[in-house]
Amino acid sequence: MSYKCSRCKRDVELDEYGGVRCPYCGHRVLLKERARDIKEVDVK
Amino acid sequence: MSAEFDVEFIERDDRSARFLVRGLTPAFANGIRRAMIADVPTLSIDTVRFIENSSVMFDEMIALRLGLIPLTTPLADYEIGETVTVALDVEGPATAYSGDLTTSDGLVEPADKNIPIIKLNQGQRLEFEADAVLDRGKEHAKHQGGVSVGYRHLQRVEVIGDRGEFDEEEPHILRGVIETEDGELVATDEFDNDLTNRYPGKEVSVTDVPGAFVFHVETDGSLSVEELVDRAAESIGDRAAELKDAVSV
Repeated sequence: MSYKCSRCKRDVELDEYGGVRCPYCGHRVLLKERARDIKEVDVK
Repeated sequence: MSAEFDVEFIERDDRSARFLVRGLTPAFANGIRRAMIADVPTLSIDTVRFIENSSVMFDEMIALRLGLIPLTTPLADYEIGETVTVALDVEGPATAYSGDLTTSDGLVEPADKNIPIIKLNQGQRLEFEADAVLDRGKEHAKHQGGVSVGYRHLQRVEVIGDRGEFDEEEPHILRGVIETEDGELVATDEFDNDLTNRYPGKEVSVTDVPGAFVFHVETDGSLSVEELVDRAAESIGDRAAELKDAVSV
C-alpha cells in the first residue's frame, strides 16, 4: 500500500508489522494515494 | 378524430415553442406528450473512464454531473445504443466547464457551453474519457430531450354582457392561450393572466374548444422543437405499425 505523509509529503510504504507512522518524520497521519489505474464508472 | 390536423405556432424559439393543434383527441394529445418525454432518444454520457481526478469530488459524483449535460444529437446518424467518445482534460486553478469537453464527432457537442462541472484548485486535475450513448428517456431521465412538455385545452372567451354596476370586479385568472370571438389567438401572459384586464367591466364566458390543444414544448438543446415533435409522432406511428404487423401475422 502506498501512502503519503501529510507532514513531510514523502511517499511511505506500509508493511503489516511496522505500524502507522512515517519512517522519515514519525508523523502518524498518512494519506492514501489514489491508484494509478483507470477507473470506469457507470452513469446510472 | 379528424384525419387532418391544423397546426398554428403561437410562439417559437430555438428551444421552446407554443403551438395550437386542432383535430386531436385528449388521448392522442397525451400520447404525443408522453412520446416527446420518453420515446425520442438523445445522446448522454453513460460510462466514464477516469484517468486522473485529484479534485475534491468523488469520481461517481462527477460522473453523475456529466450524465446530465445535454449533448446535441444528430438523430439521422445514430442508432439506439451507438456511442460517441467524449474527453476532458483540465488542470487547476480553473473551473472545468461543459464547453471544455471534446468529442469524436463534430456534430455532437454540449448544447450549453457554460455548465460548470467542477472547480479545481492549484495542483488539481481532472482527466477522463467517456462514452455518450444514444438511448430513450424511458430508460433513464438523462436521455429526455423534452424537459418541459405539456398541453392545455384552447379556451374560447366570449363577452356575454356588461358587469352589473355594483358587482365587485374580482380577478379572473386564466393561463395558456385564449381564442377571442374574432378567432384571434392571444397568450394569457399578454394581459397578465387576468381576463378583467382584457375585458374590463364585461362579463365573459370561458369554454374549452373541443379537439383543440395548445402544446408548450421546451427541449434541453439536444434537439430542436420541430425535431422533437416530428420524432415523437414518428415513434407513435412506428408502434402502431408494429401492432398492425403483429395482429396481421
